[in-house]
Amino acid sequence: MNEWLHFVGIVLLISLAGALWRVWRGPSAADRMMAAQLIGTSGVGLMLVVAALGNWAVLLAALTLAVLAGLSVVGFVKARSSDGAGDPEEAAPPPLGSLRE
Amino acid sequence: MMALAFDVVLAALLILAALAAVAGRGLFRAVIFFIVYGVLVALAWARLGAVDVALAEAAIGAGLTGVLLLAAHGRLRREGLEADPGAGGQGFAAIGGAGVALALGWAWFALPEPATATRAALDSALPDAGVGNPVTAVLLNFRSFDTLLESIVLLAALVALWMLARDGAWGERLGLPQHARPGGVLASFGRVLPPLGLLFGAFLVWSGADDNGGAFQGGTVLAASLLLAMMAGLYLPPRIGERLWQSALVLGPVVFIACGLVGALVWGGFLVLPPAYAKGVILAIETGLTISIAATLALLVIGPPEQAHNSGGAA
Repeated sequence: MNEWLHFVGIVLLISLAGALWRVWRGPSAADRMMAAQLIGTSGVGLMLVVAALGNWAVLLAALTLAVLAGLSVVGFVKARSSDGAGDPEEAAPPPLGSLRE
Repeated sequence: MMALAFDVVLAALLILAALAAVAGRGLFRAVIFFIVYGVLVALAWARLGAVDVALAEAAIGAGLTGVLLLAAHGRLRREGLEADPGAGGQGFAAIGGAGVALALGWAWFALPEPATATRAALDSALPDAGVGNPVTAVLLNFRSFDTLLESIVLLAALVALWMLARDGAWGERLGLPQHARPGGVLASFGRVLPPLGLLFGAFLVWSGADDNGGAFQGGTVLAASLLLAMMAGLYLPPRIGERLWQSALVLGPVVFIACGLVGALVWGGFLVLPPAYAKGVILAIETGLTISIAATLALLVIGPPEQAHNSGGAA
């Protein structure tokens, strides 16, 4: 069982390496950010594997990562808006409002 | 065999991410690699069985520091200062990084090996600590003076940050005026995640007494939830002088010092905890510290007050 779990962990690490390559190559900032999110998700999966290997307390770390990984995307989106504190959705014309009229 | 392969791959990716953060071109790429590095380091700590450290690294490294660095990069970009540090700057950073790595390596080899004597002393003292988590016992009982000073350092960092405010902005709300499209993705995210974060952060503090977790990890999760509500424009950041926030910022150190003084008057020494009361006192200190850590970290990331609040919001 442990051999199998380690194997699953290695496969996950290799997929994480693919995302690392995407962070390196980009080319756009959004590519790198989304790859970082993918690495966060793989990290949660890997934490679950480490937990299953016998240390179930690691589940807490997996939860922490799952709750907080999304925060950096919010930071990214904010930093990319024109005044550094906005929301890209504000700039686009509101599609729902125009449909209602 | 598989276990060794797993560790080797993990260590290799860790080194690759670190090298890419330092040696790659482009500030943004370096920032992203730093965030990724935080995830990998948290994994490595989890793999080593240091769950408390993995928790702190996941919360700070992958969560809050990422927001801080991305915001800093965004500011540089808007002000047209986003230039690579150049070969000289990178060389300096590489030498500095290598120096820190060498010093840490030296410290590692200078440690008494194996540290069983310390561990045995800790194990024999643990029943009197009032809590079952050895990390919490060391931080809040055996070595609580260090923790008290650390909690004050955090506060001092916030005061130092506020000193960066311009005179005219002093009375303004902290940070930039945050706004988001009502009902949009960001605003909805800001409503959905903070309640979960609140629950999970409080759980981490409670769990820290006897299992893994603690005031710092829980406080960081709470800070992140608060920050998200602020960044989604749902909760206005405070001004510097607001009483409620000032109280929250100093609550932890105040409770800590008060408990220490009670120890000095009643139990025979500053910060002395008799076993019978230890758990209650430690939980009281941890609760106070959590609130202060959450408030301080959130306000540190939000930044000093900015004039922009006055000049018409969404510019």
